[in-house]
Amino acid sequence: MPLDTSTYSLALLRLDGRRWNELRRLTAQISTQVAADGSSYLEMGNTKVMCTVAGPSEAKGAGGVRLGNDRADIRVSISIAGFSGVDRKKSGRNDKRLMEMQHTIASAFAQNLFTKLYPHSTISLSIHVLSQDGSLLAACINACTIALIDAGVPMHDYICACTAGSTSSYSSNDETADPLLDLNTMEEQELPFLTVATMGESDSVSVLIMETKVQVGRLEGMLAVGVDGCKQVRAILDGVARARGTKMLEGSRM
Amino acid sequence: MTSLKRSLVSDPYASNISSKVYVRSTKAGKVQKIVRELYLRQDIPCSSKLCTACLKNAPRDASGILAPFVLSAKPAGTKKYTQGHYLVPDTNALLNALDLFEQKSAFYDVIILQTVLEELRNRSIPLYNRLIGLTKSEEKRFHVFFNDFRLETYVTRGEGVSINDRNDRAVRRAVKWYSEHLAQAVKAADGKSGQVPAVVMLSDDKENLKKAKKDGIDSCSLREYVDGLDDANNLLDMIAVVKEGREIKDTKMVQKVHKDYLTVSKMMTGVKNGTLHQGIFNVTPYNYLVGSIKVPAFDKPLMILGRESMNRAVHGDVVVVEVLTKDQWKEASTKIIEEETINKDENADAEDGEAVVTEREQRALQEEVKRVHSKTSEGRAQPTAKVVGVIKRNWRQCVGHIEESSVSKSGKPQMVFLIPMDKKIPKIRVRTRQAAEIVGKRVLVTIDSWDVDSRYPVGHFVRSLGDVENKAAETEALLLEYDVQYRPFPKAVLDCLPAEGHDWIVPPSTDDPGWQDRRDLRHLQICSIDPIGCQDIDDALHARPLPNGNFEVGVHIADVSHFVKPNSAMDAEASIRGTSVYLVDKRIDMLPMLLGTDLCSLKPYVQRYAFSAIWEITPDAEIVNSEFTKSVIKSREAFSYEQAQLRVDDQSQQDDLTLAIRTLLTLSKKFKQKRMDAGALSLSSPEVKVEMESETSDPIDVKTKKHLDTMSLVEEFMLLANTSVAAKIYSAFPQTAMLRRHGAPPKTNFEELALQLKTKRGLELSVDSSKALADSLDTCIDPNEPFFNTLVRIMATRCMMAAEYFCSGTQAYPEFRHYGLASEIYTHFTSPIRRYADLVAHRQLAAAIDYEPIHAAVRSKGKLEAVCRNINVRHRNAQLAGRASIEYYVGQALKGRIVEEEGFVMKVFSNGFVVFVPRFGIESLIRLRDLAEPEPEGVFDAEEYVLETKGSREIRVELFGKVVVRISDVLEEKTGKRVVKSEFVKSGGKE
Repeated sequence: MPLDTSTYSLALLRLDGRRWNELRRLTAQISTQVAADGSSYLEMGNTKVMCTVAGPSEAKGAGGVRLGNDRADIRVSISIAGFSGVDRKKSGRNDKRLMEMQHTIASAFAQNLFTKLYPHSTISLSIHVLSQDGSLLAACINACTIALIDAGVPMHDYICACTAGSTSSYSSNDETADPLLDLNTMEEQELPFLTVATMGESDSVSVLIMETKVQVGRLEGMLAVGVDGCKQVRAILDGVARARGTKMLEGSRM
Repeated sequence: MTSLKRSLVSDPYASNISSKVYVRSTKAGKVQKIVRELYLRQDIPCSSKLCTACLKNAPRDASGILAPFVLSAKPAGTKKYTQGHYLVPDTNALLNALDLFEQKSAFYDVIILQTVLEELRNRSIPLYNRLIGLTKSEEKRFHVFFNDFRLETYVTRGEGVSINDRNDRAVRRAVKWYSEHLAQAVKAADGKSGQVPAVVMLSDDKENLKKAKKDGIDSCSLREYVDGLDDANNLLDMIAVVKEGREIKDTKMVQKVHKDYLTVSKMMTGVKNGTLHQGIFNVTPYNYLVGSIKVPAFDKPLMILGRESMNRAVHGDVVVVEVLTKDQWKEASTKIIEEETINKDENADAEDGEAVVTEREQRALQEEVKRVHSKTSEGRAQPTAKVVGVIKRNWRQCVGHIEESSVSKSGKPQMVFLIPMDKKIPKIRVRTRQAAEIVGKRVLVTIDSWDVDSRYPVGHFVRSLGDVENKAAETEALLLEYDVQYRPFPKAVLDCLPAEGHDWIVPPSTDDPGWQDRRDLRHLQICSIDPIGCQDIDDALHARPLPNGNFEVGVHIADVSHFVKPNSAMDAEASIRGTSVYLVDKRIDMLPMLLGTDLCSLKPYVQRYAFSAIWEITPDAEIVNSEFTKSVIKSREAFSYEQAQLRVDDQSQQDDLTLAIRTLLTLSKKFKQKRMDAGALSLSSPEVKVEMESETSDPIDVKTKKHLDTMSLVEEFMLLANTSVAAKIYSAFPQTAMLRRHGAPPKTNFEELALQLKTKRGLELSVDSSKALADSLDTCIDPNEPFFNTLVRIMATRCMMAAEYFCSGTQAYPEFRHYGLASEIYTHFTSPIRRYADLVAHRQLAAAIDYEPIHAAVRSKGKLEAVCRNINVRHRNAQLAGRASIEYYVGQALKGRIVEEEGFVMKVFSNGFVVFVPRFGIESLIRLRDLAEPEPEGVFDAEEYVLETKGSREIRVELFGKVVVRISDVLEEKTGKRVVKSEFVKSGGKE
């Protein structure tokens, strides 16, 4: 049995050697699949996801009937690879947790993208989770953001997400517990945490989900750390997008 | 195509990210591969006050607070390390001698490495918790250094390297880094290399020490290190016996006296598919060679006969057993076998080549078997089993005394036997060099191990408590034996007390926040009734007639939850203590004195905060309505049971208080009748009181407790309050209410007693329901012997299950039933000063009536379950400790006296019988060999429960028979206890 989260207070070190306010290694790549309209690959620690974007394309119903309304429809599908977790698990078609994540991502981007520019069309995002180690929803949102940038869909700003938690469990009721940034699986299992996503560098929150119990007094600290984390994530994603842009410009110049 | 392959150069983290991959198996038997990231860093401080570089980049928590550095700039030194030293123990050093590290005389400035901490946690959770406690204490200066997260000290595990070797290397690397780092730090501080403290690795692993020497690291074995300390002789005994001569033994081919245990996976699969059974191993009190284990698959407990089958299991261990074939099933033993008489003069030093079962033991068991074979005891055979493995050891520290015959006079270190006070625990071999000094003392030892090649477990000496029969030593021994927390309250707890101390009063102004939502009940005629000399008054009562002919009755309970807030240090301490413990001459409080005997205690003539339950009750004792409120009361008088009784009986007293008590008394009798009609049991346990001389507090006499009406008055209303509160908190918190249940005893528990009653007296014992049992117990009367009924009740009580606290979400509603009280739902609410469960119930009730928001700690099921587990154990231990204390004082009170008393035979064995003496509430064992010299031959009729002797003395005893015994006291050699010894005088009554 390795140590658990209760040892944090001994040296202010988390289970993987991070401090309370540090992100895990976050790396991303754009245009990983040339065939797709937009694609990305993103790692947050050992959580690894791939995202491909198809569209905006004309929405067609059965028999070629034109569907949709005055704005683009965003469809998200997440598939979790059987080998991605510790136990090999086949997730069902109607996994409620997946459906909730899909819905969350779709509605966040519905606010952020200029969907009005594409009436009667669909933007579909398909996410493949290759490895899970905490902060899954946050990783999916981040991967979608850069994939959409790759696809060239106009948007207000980056939506950047990360998780934030607290160093002691709900029942220990420790008001002075430090907030934590970017939790891994071990921490998610033991500690209260939330997932937050913000619009770019602003403090405006576009996604906020918490499924664990925590005393309200600790929430503010957690949220502040989470929002701060989102800004760090944005800087990294921005770097990735810009590097890609520079490369493309260089390519066109030649 | 774009390649997804990452080039290492572009990765800014590459060198300081590593990953840890390990494989673990789950409870279900699945194997999981876990991959975890490790972020290696360089800002983990060394925490030495000598170092300024580390201080600069030391971590701060979210509020910007820096953890202070612990390791002293001028650590203590020894002869070998005159410049001072920091200690770095490795895992086996901690495993073998954590007691040493807790000493006050040495072992300061210790660095605990993360590697070691993790390994220790894997090996022993209790030791790990103790170590964590040490790192939190400021004076001991223990620092946890996370070496596996620091870039310089991180060690990878190479191909084919065992995890132990890797960990040893990690320890050595960390020690080396520390000494280099300190040298640098000192140099940086004063420009030249000054006094640098040595960093010393402590290890008991020879291989590790050898490698350390080669690497030029300061290191020594525990023994070597302790030898250099001032207090060496004392400290050396605390090191667990390490198998020093392992190599030699291996070559000699040890003769294994026990069978090896099965592997964990084998046991797990066995238990899963039903071929093996898991349970808690118990040793029977009268026969140390017979153990029993209750497993779900069998109604009756499985018997484990003989040392070979017990296979090193100690009372309380969680073990896995295999059931033996049917032809090996035996009848329950009817013989008393005590370890001391059988293995008297063994040599503690002898180790090799002994058989597990000595010849004498073998003979004792043989006779047993013969007897079983000779008789046709169809259907009476019990299943037997043998231990094949141990899941969890329940070894704790034990108190006992040194067997004098095992001590040799030389001052050399030697192996001696320690005989534990608890007869269920075998002798323990202890190596000591102070044998001569500790003979005749109460000593505390820890069991370390029990090897396959050893007849007895091996332990080490912890400390001496004082002389045997010294009052302080005996009391401490008793408290340790029952794991009662008796140390003074730490400062953190005392800091939670109100600052005003004894001057605290209920705020005079009703606008004070303390008065918020509190009802003013100061005008009511409230009084309390308790035993004489009671200082922690939990409860007070009142009753007054209402205009409509009904009565208003109030039970007022001390409002402890006002003073003890959840999650404070005081709350934590109280939840660990669980209950106050009442010994004959001493009380170990759950809460500090200031609260228990003053601020919370509902003392007369002063205002106090209370939690009140108020009912409207008809004269027929029907409850019309009930309500709960926090209140302020002023008790008019604190009565003792006797005083209250006198007042009630004295018809000339017509004041309000007396009238109220009379009302209460009438109502309580009706309540009691209702309970009895519903099937409540009235059980009995032998209760005696030791009278002490007031000045010297020496025991002078023993009295049986008298029962007064006023006692059942208080009891009835407390039961009423408890049941009402239970229903209320259950309706408010169906998942997390703190309740108390008493399971219906399985029928098999009563089989023996029912059979005995039937054969001896022709009485039927019906156990179909509590009502049937109560009724049939009422019929168990012997017209010539009024005590017979009590005797049966005492024996019936022993067949009951123990009542337990539980969290409502863990059981289905029908299981909530309190069998003994015949109540559907029950909790403890009325004694929050002395029981933690009541305090939890108070908090839940306060939330249920919207007095305050519910606190997370009393709403979390997991937390409550943990609390219940602890208080159930503490409650039992407190009872046992109380009884043991009475037993000890009865022995002391009888010191030097010889009296003849009547007693009753409770149990008959083939070579002895047990007599219960009501006058002193004692049970004592009389063996045939005590009757006369030479031992008379006994003929035991197991069907009729009659034992007859022939030869040197002819007597006949039968179960339930009345006998006269001569009682004197004797210092029992085995346990070093002064116990009451009974000698058989004759059958029949005393004239």
